[in-house]
Amino acid sequence: MTSSMNEALEKLEVFQPEVEEIDEREAKISVAPDRVISVLETLKSLGYSHLSLMTCVDWIEDSQFELVYILFSWRDGGKFIVSTRIDRNNPVFVTVKEIWPVARFYEREIHEFFGVKFLGNDDMKPLFLELWDDKPPLKKDFDPLEYSKRKFPGREYKKDVVAEAKRMFRGEING
Amino acid sequence: MGETKLFFGPNHPGMHGNFSVHMYVEGDIVKKARPVPGFLHRGFEKLMERRYWYSNISLIPRICVPEPDINEICYAMAVEKIAKIEVPERAQWIRMIVLELARIANHIWNVGGIGGPLGLYTASYWGVADRDRILDIFEALTGARVYHMYIIIGGVRKNMTPKIEDMIWKTLDYIESRLPDYENLIFKNRIVHSRLKGRLILTREQAMEMGVTGVGLRATGVEYDIRKVDPYLFYDRVEFEVPTATEGDAFSRVYLKFKEIPQSIKIIRQTLEKMPQSDRVNVPASKGSGLRRVVPKGMAYAHVESTRGEYGFFVVSDGKNKPYRVAVRGASYPQGLYGIEKYLPGTRIEDVPIWLATMDVCAPEIDR
Repeated sequence: MTSSMNEALEKLEVFQPEVEEIDEREAKISVAPDRVISVLETLKSLGYSHLSLMTCVDWIEDSQFELVYILFSWRDGGKFIVSTRIDRNNPVFVTVKEIWPVARFYEREIHEFFGVKFLGNDDMKPLFLELWDDKPPLKKDFDPLEYSKRKFPGREYKKDVVAEAKRMFRGEING
Repeated sequence: MGETKLFFGPNHPGMHGNFSVHMYVEGDIVKKARPVPGFLHRGFEKLMERRYWYSNISLIPRICVPEPDINEICYAMAVEKIAKIEVPERAQWIRMIVLELARIANHIWNVGGIGGPLGLYTASYWGVADRDRILDIFEALTGARVYHMYIIIGGVRKNMTPKIEDMIWKTLDYIESRLPDYENLIFKNRIVHSRLKGRLILTREQAMEMGVTGVGLRATGVEYDIRKVDPYLFYDRVEFEVPTATEGDAFSRVYLKFKEIPQSIKIIRQTLEKMPQSDRVNVPASKGSGLRRVVPKGMAYAHVESTRGEYGFFVVSDGKNKPYRVAVRGASYPQGLYGIEKYLPGTRIEDVPIWLATMDVCAPEIDR
């Protein structure tokens, strides 16, 4: 880890994070949900001000959603993956759109694909999917095959097209 | 005069891909703009969870077509980080050549492509024709012109022959000789000056607040480039400059792209000279099929500097033979969504395609 990342971690010790080093310029910080906003604000004030990505991971076996914020520092090239776990059955969390305005769209995306609600972010209209009527599609228990079979049931042809083709080409048809 | 609702795209000659902007206009001034990216959802992130680690290599170049190699490298780098794979040295140099060639190809296309919304079609044709020379190199190297699938986990698919190296030298000389023509046609052109200079200004504070990366940020005078700040491959072993401008307007953004082409040429020339000779360009997955590759538990984020800014892949493994979760950070996400909503109101209708072109809003990167 770089020296500035170590300094940042020292300042974060009050939040009792679980730190895992991934690379020489990348580390993962796991904290409790009620501390993550303070951790993000502290990191932003220490120069990790660029929100590269905000996303969600569905840990269905633990019945938890893991919210992931990836912060990057333009000064020393350090990356922090800040993560927290929330209850999968009651997925509600607070917004970070006041800290990073672009997070509004990431939250809309996570709401659409995982069903997580963000308090304080009232714009939760669908962003990508049109006329979606099933459970959020990136959840692990969503079955795409079942969905497409239900949505687009097998088409029935009035004519037997293969027999028709064989008749037209006098039986010389591949397959 | 009342407000009119106007749909710009998804099917419009000035639009870049399947993307739409719903605008409320009064006269020709945009009062309110709403990005509507949902026109091509292909569910890449879900698809990747259902394929083997290696099969995904053939899927991800489809995310953003003009520069497919950055998808491959980001994914490969993230997996290599989790699995702690050491890539052979020659493969790393070859990856750099491929990335920079793709960068030149995309920049030429983009610089010429600005002719599209301005009605200056000669530039577009030149851009497409010169880009084709680089696609010839890719065809010789990888067997494919657009979707290369060349950078795999643990290296590159096959070695670069001296014949291809020779081809690259010649093509670089050709492209360098063409640059003055582009300068004369585009950057000394009155139409381009009057349409782009001093228009669509994004200040440094706004760019930082939005999280804009790439030329959008560098046009405001900040020398931020991931190749310099967080060097991957061997970018710290070659010399190159990061061109910047201070105006922050549409003209400087296009001009910066143009200025980056000679720098990429410089990087490739140094790479070709420094690259060691070796037959080892990848780490075999296992005995037999690469589909059996199992990646240990863990998560990692890998990002690179694409022509549109920071492009990244966040990969999670639960220790099986398929990724548990892959999330894509599209480079044009901030400027394509938040930027449209916040900074287009107040401009004129004719400026909307210029924002999309100079900020490089690539629709499939937003709506994977």
